[in-house]
Amino acid sequence: MELVKKVLQGDEGSAARLISMIEEGLDEGYEAVSLIFPYTGKAHVIGVTGGPGAGKSTLINRLAASYGRQGEKVGVIAVDPTSAKSDGAFLGDRVRMKDAERVKGIFIRSMAHRGFPGGIAKATLGAAYVLEGLGKKVIFVESVGAGQTEMQVSTICDSVITVLTPDYGDEIQLMKAGLIEIGDIVVMNKMDRTGAAEAAEDIALHLAGRKDNDWQIPVLTIQANKGEGIEKLIATLDLHRRHMRDDAQGKFVRKERMKRLVLALFKEEAWGTLLNEVRAKEGFAGIMGKLQNREIDPYRAVRMILKLALPKKERKTARRSKRA
Amino acid sequence: MGTQKKIKVLIAKPGLDGHDRGAKVVSLALKDAGMEVIYSGLHRTIDQIVNIAIQEDVDVIGLSIMTGAHIPITQRLFQKIREKGIGNKTVFVGGVIPSRDIPKLKEMGVSGVFPGGTPLAETIKFLQSTMLKR
Ligand SMILES: Nc1nc2c(ncn2[C@@H]2O[C@H](COP(=O)(O)OP(=O)(O)O)[C@@H](O)[C@H]2O)c(=O)[nH]1
Ligand SMILES: [Mg+2]
Repeated sequence: MELVKKVLQGDEGSAARLISMIEEGLDEGYEAVSLIFPYTGKAHVIGVTGGPGAGKSTLINRLAASYGRQGEKVGVIAVDPTSAKSDGAFLGDRVRMKDAERVKGIFIRSMAHRGFPGGIAKATLGAAYVLEGLGKKVIFVESVGAGQTEMQVSTICDSVITVLTPDYGDEIQLMKAGLIEIGDIVVMNKMDRTGAAEAAEDIALHLAGRKDNDWQIPVLTIQANKGEGIEKLIATLDLHRRHMRDDAQGKFVRKERMKRLVLALFKEEAWGTLLNEVRAKEGFAGIMGKLQNREIDPYRAVRMILKLALPKKERKTARRSKRA
Repeated sequence: MGTQKKIKVLIAKPGLDGHDRGAKVVSLALKDAGMEVIYSGLHRTIDQIVNIAIQEDVDVIGLSIMTGAHIPITQRLFQKIREKGIGNKTVFVGGVIPSRDIPKLKEMGVSGVFPGGTPLAETIKFLQSTMLKR
C-alpha cells in the first residue's frame, strides 16, 4: 500500500492521514495497520494517566523535550474526552506542549476518545503503531483524565505513569484501598504545593509492602511546570523499560496486557455488531414493550434479548468456554 | 456511532496578540456543534500552525486575529500551505477584520470571514455546508 510505504519512509502527512483513517474505522486503515505491525514492538510506549489538571500534558511536554535533547525521536498521542451530548471534542493538550513541539522530529497528535471506555480511544493503539512506523522510538500516550481510573491505557503501553497531586486525597485513598490500579510509576506532581511531600511519603509507605510482578512501584516527587525531577523520572522509566523487556515477570505482564487489550477491543466491536443485529430482529420491540409494561422484569428481558441475539448452539459453546 | 466523517478544525492564534477569549468561545461552539476542535494556544508562528494542521490532519484552519495584521498573516499562511502541499484545507478568519479587507482575504483563498460579533451559528453553518460539499 502506497500510504504505508510513505509512512515507513517518514512522511508525516501520510502518517496523519492514516491515523484519521483508523479513527474513522475504515477497512483501509486497519489493513494498513496490519502492514505496519511487523515493524513495531520496539518503541518505548509510555502512558500518562491521572485526574484532570494533574499536570499530564505539562509532564509530557517536559519528558518529550528531554528525550528529544538526547536525540530520541518522540511521538505523542494526547487523548481528550468526546462530549456525550454533542459528540464533539475540545482538544487542548497541545497548548501545554510548546517546548516539546520545538524538538526536532517530534510528532504530536490530539485525539478524541469517541466514547471508548478506559481513558483512550479505539484508534490510540493504531496511532501508536503508525508513529512507530514513522520512526518514533519513544511514544507518549496521555489518557483522557476524566477523574476515574483509566487503566485501558496500560494495555497499550510498556510503562504507565500515574500523576497525582496533593489535591487528589480521595484518589490516594482509593489507591491505598486497592480500588484503583496504580500503574508502574507514581508521580507526585506540584511539589511546590503544601502537602506534596507528605502525600508522596504516604503512598510510598503504603506501596513499600507490595511488589507487582517483581517491580517495586516507585513514588517520585516532581514539579512538571518547572521541569524539576524530570531526569530522575527518565532514569526510572529506563529501569522499568528494561524490567519489561528482560525480566521474566515483565515479559509476562506485557503478554497479559496484550490479551486484555484485545478483549477490550473485541467487547467494543462485538457489542456494536450484536446490538445492531438484535435491534433489527423481529421480537426485539416486543420484548422491550413487555418490559416497559412491567409484564417482565429487566433481568428476564436481558436473557430474552440474548437468546434472540445468539442462536442456541453458539450460546452453549460460549458458556462452556467460559468455564474452561 | 455515526459513520459520517467528523469535521476536524484547528483554531489557531497567530502572532503577538494576547487575547484568546474569542478563539475559545468559537472553539467551544464548534465542539457543541459536534466538531473536533484542536486549539493551538497563543503566540503561534505560521510555520507552527501549518505543522499542527498537518499532524492533526484537520479539514479546517480557523485563524483568530485581533491585531490588524490579518493581511500579511493570511498571506504567509497561504504561502506556507502551498509550500507544504496542503491546499485542500478550508481556511476561515475571525477577529477584528474591517469589512473593506474581506474581498482581499477571499482573493487570497480564505473561504469565510467572520468578524467579531458574527453569530456563532453562522460560522457553524458555514463549516457544515462547506464540509458537505467536499
Ligand atoms: N503549581 C504547579 N502547577 C503545575 C505543575 N505542573 C502543572 N501545573 C499546572 O497545572 C495545570 C494543569 O496542567 P495540565 O498539564 O494541563 O494537566 P492535565 O489536565 O493533567 O493535562 C496547568 O495550569 C499547569 O501549568 C506543578 O508542578 N506545579
Ligand atoms: Mg492534558
